[in-house]
Amino acid sequence: MSQMELPLVIFTVLSQTAVGLVAISAIRQHAADGPAGSVRPEWMTAALLLIAGLVASLFHLGHPLGAPLAIKHLGRAWLSREALGIGVFTALVIVGFLTARGRVNAGLSFAAAAVGLIALFFTGMTYSPPGFPALNNVLPFVFFLLTAAMVGAGFAAYFTPAEKMPMITRILAVSLIVGLVVYLVVPFLWLSGGTVMRQTGLNYISSPLYWARIIVGLVVPLMAIWRMRTVAAWVPVLVLAGEIMGRIAFFLLAVHASANMGGIY
Amino acid sequence: MDKRDADSVKQAIGCPMSRRKFFRCLAAAGALAAMPGGLLRPFDAKAGKIIYEGDYEIYRNACPRNCYDTCSIKSYVKDGVLQFIEGAQASTFTDGGLCVKGYAYTRRPYSPDRIKYPMIQDGRGSGNWRRISWDEAMDMIAKKLVEINDKDDSMLGLGLTKYSGNFGITNYAVEGMMTSLGYTTRLVGTPCWPAGIDAQNYDLGDMWCNDPEDMVNSRYIILWGANPAWNSVHTMKYIYAAQDRGAKVVCIDPVFTQTAAKADVYWQVDTSMDGALALGMAKHILDKGLFDKAWVDANSVGFDEFADYLRNEISVQWAAEKSGIPRQQIVEVAEEFATAKPATIWIGYGLQRHVNGGATVRSIDALAAMTGNVGKTGGGARYGHMRTWGFNYHALLQKRPEGAKGFLGGKGPKGDFDFSGDEEAEYTDRALNINKTAEMLLTADDPPIRVLWISCKNVLSQDFDRPKMLEAFKKPELIVSVEQFFTQTVELSDIVLPVTTLFEEHTINASYWHYWLSVNEQAIKPMYEAKSNTEIAAALSARMNKLKPGSCTFPTKVDTRQWMIKEFNQDIYDLFGIDSWEDLKKGPAKAKMHPASWHDLEFGTPSKKYEFRSDLCAQHGHQALPKFKAARKPYDKLRLLTPHTKFGIHSQFINIDWMEDFNKKPYCYLHPLAARERGIGDGDQVRVFNKVGEVELEVKLTQNVPADVVMMYEAWFRNNAYNCQNVVDDTSSDMGKYKTGAPGVAIHDQFADVEKV
Amino acid sequence: MKKQLAFYIDAKRCIGCFTCAMACKNQYHQESGVIWRDVYELKEEIYPHRERAFYSLACNHCENPTCLNVCPVVAYYKREADGVVVHEQEKCIGCGNCIRSCPYGAPRYNPVLKRAEKCSFCWQRLDDDRKPACVLSCPTDALQIVDLAEFDEANAVQYPAGFPRYPSLNPSVRFRLPAMPKMIRRKL
Repeated sequence: MSQMELPLVIFTVLSQTAVGLVAISAIRQHAADGPAGSVRPEWMTAALLLIAGLVASLFHLGHPLGAPLAIKHLGRAWLSREALGIGVFTALVIVGFLTARGRVNAGLSFAAAAVGLIALFFTGMTYSPPGFPALNNVLPFVFFLLTAAMVGAGFAAYFTPAEKMPMITRILAVSLIVGLVVYLVVPFLWLSGGTVMRQTGLNYISSPLYWARIIVGLVVPLMAIWRMRTVAAWVPVLVLAGEIMGRIAFFLLAVHASANMGGIY
Repeated sequence: MDKRDADSVKQAIGCPMSRRKFFRCLAAAGALAAMPGGLLRPFDAKAGKIIYEGDYEIYRNACPRNCYDTCSIKSYVKDGVLQFIEGAQASTFTDGGLCVKGYAYTRRPYSPDRIKYPMIQDGRGSGNWRRISWDEAMDMIAKKLVEINDKDDSMLGLGLTKYSGNFGITNYAVEGMMTSLGYTTRLVGTPCWPAGIDAQNYDLGDMWCNDPEDMVNSRYIILWGANPAWNSVHTMKYIYAAQDRGAKVVCIDPVFTQTAAKADVYWQVDTSMDGALALGMAKHILDKGLFDKAWVDANSVGFDEFADYLRNEISVQWAAEKSGIPRQQIVEVAEEFATAKPATIWIGYGLQRHVNGGATVRSIDALAAMTGNVGKTGGGARYGHMRTWGFNYHALLQKRPEGAKGFLGGKGPKGDFDFSGDEEAEYTDRALNINKTAEMLLTADDPPIRVLWISCKNVLSQDFDRPKMLEAFKKPELIVSVEQFFTQTVELSDIVLPVTTLFEEHTINASYWHYWLSVNEQAIKPMYEAKSNTEIAAALSARMNKLKPGSCTFPTKVDTRQWMIKEFNQDIYDLFGIDSWEDLKKGPAKAKMHPASWHDLEFGTPSKKYEFRSDLCAQHGHQALPKFKAARKPYDKLRLLTPHTKFGIHSQFINIDWMEDFNKKPYCYLHPLAARERGIGDGDQVRVFNKVGEVELEVKLTQNVPADVVMMYEAWFRNNAYNCQNVVDDTSSDMGKYKTGAPGVAIHDQFADVEKV
Repeated sequence: MKKQLAFYIDAKRCIGCFTCAMACKNQYHQESGVIWRDVYELKEEIYPHRERAFYSLACNHCENPTCLNVCPVVAYYKREADGVVVHEQEKCIGCGNCIRSCPYGAPRYNPVLKRAEKCSFCWQRLDDDRKPACVLSCPTDALQIVDLAEFDEANAVQYPAGFPRYPSLNPSVRFRLPAMPKMIRRKL
C-alpha cells in the first residue's frame, strides 16, 4: 500500500483526458468528412483541463514555487521531459483555442495531438520507476493511453455533431473494450510475478475500489453504449469517475520494492 | 522547530546559542522555519566542510546505566547544545561505538517529555500536576521530615529505595543524604544478581571475573544464561575473535537468543535445570578423569566429597532427562570443555533468577574449578567484579546528626554496591528487602514508612507483584520521586524533582565487567531546573537546617565538580596508572590489573582455597556442596520469562521518541504449537494472565521460545500501560542475603497462561 | 576501476542491535519516522529463526543511481572522487520522484522541510578523515566501509536473498551471509 497521491491522480487523468480530447478532435475535424463540431469550446475545455491538472500537480510538491525548475534535467529525467512536453502541449492547445475559427488549423491540430501523445509517453516513463516492480514496465504508458482514449473520446462526444457521433461512439466503445480486457487481465498477470508484484496483484483483486472502477468506469458505460448505440450525456461522467478511481488504485495499491526488504523477491 | 533548524537559524541571524538564548532564538526565528536543513545536512558541497575536532567543544562522558559495557563517550557540543556523541576510541572495549540506547542520549536531555521543574500532584495518581519552585518543594519535604522525626523520635519513617538507575559514583550522595538526616529505612538488596554473588563468594571468596577482553584467548566459551548480543554488545567482538581463532562457543539458554544464533552450538536447556546440566557434565568429566587433579589438589577443599556426591547421586542420563539436553551432547561438550585449555564460562544473571539460582551458579563454578580454569587468562567462571570501584565514596559517607536514634539490632550489607563499610554502631538503619518492596511498604511498622524517597529506581515499572505495589503506594504519607520523565512511579508520587542527565553533571564511572575508568564531565548546563542528586541533597540540607538546626549534616553548599574530584585517591591513580583525574579528560584509562582473576590463587574464602565444600554456605542455610536444588513447581500452564530487550535498559530509553522509530510497541512471544492449542494466530491481541494479574499485548509466533514458555520483555513504553510486572510475583531466590543484604528474586520462575482477546 | 565507496554488511557478525541506525539519528537528528538507516530482519523464509538475522541498509550509492536520474531539478550529484551520491536538499522541490523510484527506499520524505533526504555516507565526516557515524558505531564491526576498487572478500555477495536485485542501478553494497548454530532443542 502506498499513498493515494490525489494531486497526481488529478493531474494525470485530466492531462491525459486533454491529450485524448485533442487527438480525437484533430481526427474528427480533419480526417472525417462532415461538420467539425464545437471546436472552440472543445479546445477551451482541453486547455482548462490541462491548467486544472497542472495546478493540482503543484499541490504534490513540497515547494510548489520550485515547479518551473522541474525542466532542468531533460538530459536524464523523464519527469523533466514530461513537464516540458505537457507545457508545450498546453501552449499549443491554448493557441489552438485562440486561433480556432470553426476548426483549428490542421497542422496545428495534428502537431498538438502529436506533442500531446509524446508528452503522454514521457508521463508513462515517469510513472514506471524501478521502485514499483508491478509498474516498472510498459503498463503505465498503456494505462495512460487508455485514459486518453476513453475519457478523451467520452468528452469529445460532448462536442461532436450528430453526423460524427457513430465514429466517436465506436472509438469510445473500442477503447472501453480494450480497457476492460487490460484491467481485468493485468492484476491476475501480476500474481505470477515476484513477491512485490504478486502482492500488488492481490491488492487489486481484493480491493473494492478496483472492482468498482471496473463496473462504474468500464462495464456500465459499455452496456449503455451497446443498448443505446450512442454516447449518452451521463456516460463520459462515469468513464471519468472510473478513471479517477482507477488512478487512485494505481497509486494506492502498488507495492514498493522496499516494502519486502528481508523477504524473498 | 527543533535543534537542527535552530542551527540554521543561528547561521542566519548570528545568534550565539547559550542555553538561555537558545529558547529566545527559537521564538524569534519562527518566521524562518522554512529555511533548509541545518548545519549537519549535506546541503552544500562547496561550503559546509566541518572540522570536527575544531568546530566543536569535546567532553568526556560515560554511560551510568546498569550495563556490563559502561561505555566511554565522547560528546560534541556547540553553542552549549549537545550535537552528537561517539563511543570513545581510546577505550579498546568501547572501541568507538555505543549501542542503540547510548546513541539516543543525544535526544534525551532535550526530550519534550523531560520533567522541567519540581512539581506537585494534587491527589496521588490524579494527574493534576502543578509546578512549584525548588524552595517550595524543599520546604514541603523538610517540614514533613521534621514532623516525622517529632512523631517517631527517629527518622526511621523515612524510607529510601534506590538502585541502578544511575551508577555515577557521586550519586551515592542520595544514600549520603539519608545518612546525614539520621537513621532511616533502606530498601536493601538487589533484584539483579545477588544469588550468583553469594555463590561466587562461597566458592571463591569474592565475585571477580577476568578481563572480558581476554576472552580472545579462550579456546572454549560457554555462554550460560547470558545474552551478550543484546546486553553486552561490546563483548561480542572478543567472542568472535576467539571463534575466528578456532574456539568453540556453546550457548545454553531456554530461549534461542540473538547470542545463540552466533554460537557454534545452541542448547535449549529446560529453564532452571542448568544446575542439573552442570552436574551432569561434572560427573562425566570426573568419570573420564579429565579434571585437573593437580589444580584441584593444590587449590581447593572438599573436592573428594563433591566427587562422592557426583558418583552417588548424579548420572549423565539423569542430567539429560532433567535438562532436556541429549546425553550424547552433554558427554561431547563436557569432554571438549575439560580438554580445551583454557576454557571459560560466562554465567549470566538470568540464569540465577530462580529459587535454585545460587545453587546453580555454584555447580557451574565447580565445572570451571575442577577443570583448572580458574585463575587463567582466557578462563574463569565470569560473573562480574568490583575491583575497580575503590573510590573514596565521599558523597556516600556522611555523619549522622547528633542525637540521632535508629533501628536496634540490624547489621549486614545494604546491597551489592554498599561501600559504606558501616561498623556496628548501637543504632543502624532499618534494612528491608528491596525485592519485596510492596510487602515491606504494606507491613513496615513502628514506624511505618511515612515518607518514601525514590531515586535511580522506577518502582512501579520494575518491582514485582505490581498489583500489590499499587496497594502499597497508597500507604506512605509523602512520596518523593527524583526523575527525568513522568514514569509510572512518578504518576503515583506526590512530588517529583527533576534530576540531571549524564551530560549535565560531574561524576565518575567504573564497570562491573571491564577494567576501564571514565570521567564524566558536565558537557552542557542542566536543562530547565534540573539538579544533580548532590545538589538536591545540599538543597534539602539547607532547608532542614533552617527549620531545625543540626537536623542534617549534609553540606548545604556543594561544588559538584570538586565532589567528583574528591572521589579519587592514590589507590585509584596507581591502579589506573594515571597521575591525576585530569588525565581522564584525554580519554578513559584501563586498570593495570592482571587479566585473569584469581591469578594469584589466593582465594577470599575462610580456607583461602576454592571451596567445593563451603561450610559457610551450609551455615547460612544452604548446602555445603554444590548439590542439585529443585526448581520452583509450576503453578500455571506455561513458564513466563521476562528478560531484557535490546532497546532499553530496564525502564529507560524505550520512552524516548527516537527509540520509537525502531521499537514501537511491546510483544509477547509464543511457540506455534502453544498458539495453535489456544486458537491464537500471529499478530493477535492476547492476554497473558496468572494469579498475580494480567497483561494485554500483541503476540508473535516463533520457535525461538520453547513450546512451554511465553516470553515478553520488561519495558516502559510511554502512553502505554504495558507492564510485565503485573504477572511477576516477588518469590525469593535461594541466595543473596550474605553479601547483598537480602535474597534475590526468582524472576524467571513465574508461570502464566495466554488467551486470545 | 574508479574508487567507489561501499558498505560491507557482514550479516554473520551483525547482531541486529540497531546501534548503526541510532548512531545516524544521533548525527543528523532526523524527524520522527524519517529513517536514513534501518535494520531489516530477514524473514523466516530466508533465515529460519525469527528476528535473528538482519541487513543494515541505508543508501547504496549506486553506480547508476535512479534517484539522480529521475530528479527533475538536478538536486543529486555523484562525487567523482569516491562515488558518494549526495543530495543537495536546498535544491529539492519535494516532488517525491526519487522516493518512488529507489527500490531500496533510501530517500525519505521529510514532512517538516517538505523535501527528500537520505544517507549521505557522512561525506563531511569522510572529508575530515573520519568514518561514517554508523560504521564507527558498530560494536561488532559488522558494518564496514570499503572501496569496491580494492574490495577482495571472496565470500561476499551483492544480492543476497532479501535484497532487491537491480543490476541496472548497481548498488555499491556487499554482504556476507549469516550463519546458524547446531541446534539442540528439547523434545516436547
